[in-house]
Amino acid sequence: MLENAGSRLKAWLAAGIGTVAAIAVAGVMGAFGARQEPLPVLVPAGRIETAQWLLRPLKAYSAEGENLYGVPLKPGAKALVLELEMTNRTAKSTKDYFDVLQANLAMVNPTKPFIVLTRDSTLSPELHPGMPERMAYIWQLPDGTAPPASLELTVIRKTYKQRDNLYGLPGWFNPAPVGTLTLPVGSGPGSADIQP
Amino acid sequence: MMRKLANIVLLLVAVSLCYGLQLSKPHHGDLIGPIPARGKLGDTVVGRGFEIRAEKVEFARKLKADRFGDSKVLTTGGIWAVVTVEFAARAQSTTVAVASWRGPTGLTYDQTERLSFTDGLLPVAIDPGLPKKARLIFELRPDEASDAVVLVSEKLMSALDSQAEIWLGPVAIGPDGLPPGTVDTLDMTQPI
Repeated sequence: MLENAGSRLKAWLAAGIGTVAAIAVAGVMGAFGARQEPLPVLVPAGRIETAQWLLRPLKAYSAEGENLYGVPLKPGAKALVLELEMTNRTAKSTKDYFDVLQANLAMVNPTKPFIVLTRDSTLSPELHPGMPERMAYIWQLPDGTAPPASLELTVIRKTYKQRDNLYGLPGWFNPAPVGTLTLPVGSGPGSADIQP
Repeated sequence: MMRKLANIVLLLVAVSLCYGLQLSKPHHGDLIGPIPARGKLGDTVVGRGFEIRAEKVEFARKLKADRFGDSKVLTTGGIWAVVTVEFAARAQSTTVAVASWRGPTGLTYDQTERLSFTDGLLPVAIDPGLPKKARLIFELRPDEASDAVVLVSEKLMSALDSQAEIWLGPVAIGPDGLPPGTVDTLDMTQPI
């Protein structure tokens, strides 16, 4: 009887020590660090680095659809425009900029922005390594909505993988937010740049 | 006891052998990559489906091109590099669609997408016995102009297919940071 109780105690102890060790290892490996922490607020008048891009926000404004970098908007539609300087930090030409900026506006969420090279109104061209270009993100606003006073954006970065798990080829994966960015919305394309 | 020890040693040997193989053998991505066909400016480089000969390289600050019927001048933050090439198909008709410029530091510039409707740009359809000239147009940083290699292949994912690698040779850089032969405007509306 006593012997039996002793072995039981031993089993419980072993299980307890094992559990504590497992939790400790998980803790050391960062399993409890994945709590939702608030995103850092980025300064609009600075340079924002994601792994692939160097961003320099220049201005945000609302405009009528006429003659807006040749973008095919609905006639008479209003649009929210963000102009920024983008530099490709990778070693290859790429157009992997569709997910870099996410507008946190309930009304424009369903429509993807048009992304234009302002130099000659080319719609979503590839950007080349180490060559800064001024780009415009253009969100079409639904009919009858007034443009907001400020534009809040989430900046997204991706991570480089030398070999992906499916094809064994290099690529950029796992989008994750870097921080949020709030810009005042001016009226019309004539508004001044927020940084030189 | 001896037996257990021998098993452990065997296991360790197997693990290190597998790890060594993983380190030393080429990866899947390298094995199925493009097969290079190398040459230099003026050479005829022969691939599986096409032959290519690069005739000349020109640099320009601006390009004049037709877009939707009206003439446009295209500026750039760097310089334009225009490579004039002659293609020939080998056994059957094919299309050559992809070209990029690899600079001396390994930065890779894809051919520009800003002149998409100009004549003589890739993709070009080529037929056996009917050589065809084309222009490869790149937008690049002036410091990537020298010792560059132009990579040309039929498709974007040219797995296990040939890719022409044409070495363009050294290009002197002038005091203004541009190659000395850089012209102000190149007219892309002229026939090749």
